[in-house]
Amino acid sequence: MRFCLLLAGVTAFAQQLNFVACPVVRDTKTVPCFLAEYEGELYYLGIQQDITSDFHPPQLKHEVLVEGTVAAGPRVCGGIPLKPLSISVIKEVNLACNTLLPAEPGIEAPPAARGAGPATHPLDISSAKPKELTGPQEFTILYSFNDDFLEYAGNRVVNEAIDYAKRTGASSVKVTGYRESTVLSNGTRLVEKDAIAEKRAENIAALLRGSGVSGVSISSKDEPESGPAARRVAVVVTP
Amino acid sequence: MHRLFVFLGIAVTLSAQYQGLKSTWVEPSSNIVLPASDTFDNSNGTVGIINAAGPVNTEGHPFFVPLGTNGRACVNCHQPTYAMSLSAASMVERWITTGGKDPVFAAFDGSNCPNLPQDQKSSHSLLLNRGLFRIPLPWPPKNSDGSPKPVEFKIEVVRDPTGCNTSAEYGLRSSEPTISVYRRPRPAANLKYVMSGAQAIVLKTGMPADVDPETGKPVPMNLMSDAREPTLKTQAVSAIMGHEQAGGAPTQKQLDKIVEFESQVYAAQIAHIWAGPLELPGGPGTLGPAALRDRRAGVLGDNEYDPVFGRFDNWRKGSDYYRASVARGADIFMFRQFWIRDTAHINSIGLGNPVKRTCATCHNAQTTGQDLSAGWVDVGTTNFPTWTEPSTWAESSELPVFKITCSAKADPHPYLGRVIYTTDPGRALISGRCVDVGSIVMQQLRGLAARPPYFVNGSAKTLREVVDYYDRRFDMKLSDAEKEDLVNFLGAL
Repeated sequence: MRFCLLLAGVTAFAQQLNFVACPVVRDTKTVPCFLAEYEGELYYLGIQQDITSDFHPPQLKHEVLVEGTVAAGPRVCGGIPLKPLSISVIKEVNLACNTLLPAEPGIEAPPAARGAGPATHPLDISSAKPKELTGPQEFTILYSFNDDFLEYAGNRVVNEAIDYAKRTGASSVKVTGYRESTVLSNGTRLVEKDAIAEKRAENIAALLRGSGVSGVSISSKDEPESGPAARRVAVVVTP
Repeated sequence: MHRLFVFLGIAVTLSAQYQGLKSTWVEPSSNIVLPASDTFDNSNGTVGIINAAGPVNTEGHPFFVPLGTNGRACVNCHQPTYAMSLSAASMVERWITTGGKDPVFAAFDGSNCPNLPQDQKSSHSLLLNRGLFRIPLPWPPKNSDGSPKPVEFKIEVVRDPTGCNTSAEYGLRSSEPTISVYRRPRPAANLKYVMSGAQAIVLKTGMPADVDPETGKPVPMNLMSDAREPTLKTQAVSAIMGHEQAGGAPTQKQLDKIVEFESQVYAAQIAHIWAGPLELPGGPGTLGPAALRDRRAGVLGDNEYDPVFGRFDNWRKGSDYYRASVARGADIFMFRQFWIRDTAHINSIGLGNPVKRTCATCHNAQTTGQDLSAGWVDVGTTNFPTWTEPSTWAESSELPVFKITCSAKADPHPYLGRVIYTTDPGRALISGRCVDVGSIVMQQLRGLAARPPYFVNGSAKTLREVVDYYDRRFDMKLSDAEKEDLVNFLGAL
């Protein structure tokens, strides 16, 4: 019997979960946690961080698309952790998404690089330093579902691509936009809107050209690919 | 006692160059020389002005002489007495003094609409009551080559108390479709801070920043309420052709001289009416205009190690009631955590909604409290349901109300969706984007005591009303004592 339970546990921990739900914000004595409820279970998405963080929290007044894998380990902030995890804010306003839970004794947020007050130390921008690159290079900018907004992390990648193209006097810069199709755990298929791949590519090309990069060509793949990594623009810089 | 003497000393020397004059109002073509430093009384104390390049001879100076056809010069709307802006009270005073003939009341934009009877006070009610000038903007917005920009929404006039937006001559259905919004003039001072922090990619949009047409370099996009002009020079051209109704563009030399003047003038509160000078040693080192002149621009201050307006430790510990109150107000500004929520271009750019932070999260630029990144934000001052105007159906509101309906293909406003009622669509009138509806460029927090009312539409008559607005908007749960501290803090800037 115990063996069966263990097997079930292993299965559960490897479970891929894709769902759309209202986020839930839980206050703590430090920074708030962001969670989402799916089929009666609460899942931990992340904590409030700085704009430079890789995790950009969801938003009340909006549903969130969660694409994650149930991870081993204890609950965090009262929710089951998901890792890897990708979240996307659904653009349309949903006023029903408005749950903000008060802080509770015994529920603490994981340590945050920055608290809720002013910063206590300068931002770590070491990753923004130019890398030692040679030859053709691909720079990948990731997006949220159905979104062409360039987040801070993508902004940094675009700047790296611009620096590299300028430094090497690139002979060609190919910008290709992609879009995602995903299947939710309830069987529903979600596909990003038709024009999003092209729009993403156009936006990035405009940034490159606006920064003085020449030889920029654009294309887009209309056929959606699966998984969050499909929501991307690839910039291939050939010196 | 010592403080009292110091204060009296300041009061006696106030506005020395205006001795013998009834008013400190600088008339166009008055040919006076502005001193290197000067002070002007206001209800909260005294505002200080510094001309860092030395005395300014206004004779023939393009900032101080009319370059257009309506008798106005830049100085009409950017007066030293009012921290290089204007107060609504100053407009009432000018109306009384000049019988409504001051060129500041020019029909074009100093009245609610040019087609109203200009000799009647009611035709200038927005300027007299709120210090608002009419800003006529073409719809749809235009690219720099004059071609129309693509727009993501339909705009309708729901209420039109001024008559201008439905006017056959000046309105949305005129031969040159125009939206009239009504806005406060911003201070033409401390501009090295306003013009710093340019990034090639705008953090809040992920799009390329506008560029200086002369250099091709990105600009900070923090100039004006909607960032529609990229540089001080293009803003000057726009103002001369619009506000001054010039028949032709100003010369390069005139523009250079205007920009040169604007780039060296600093304005800030310098003394409190009872507590005296604010620039005393041991203070935070950010108060008064000399600090603005001397400090570095473009520095992020949302941190404990080098805060936005410096450290008020000595004032907090002292026995002076006012200074201790200012220090507590500074602490609330820097450290009081509350839920910042439903604020487009803050919560929607990756911080999450809500975010538990402080005032300094958004007002993060050192010494001025602007936003270091291109700072248009919908904090709710112009968009229903959080604006402070009466509701759309109330007849007492003086401002127009527009209905914005966003295209199904566009991204909606992040917190108001696809149908939005607004008294001023803000940045969206320039960008044509639905997400920008109601977003207004954050402005500097200096010289505030000299230039009420506040917010882009003059909807807060006093600093207390500003604080009350934020308290309501973000449920800050401020006590009356804390509100007083914040008011004292803001008034000291």
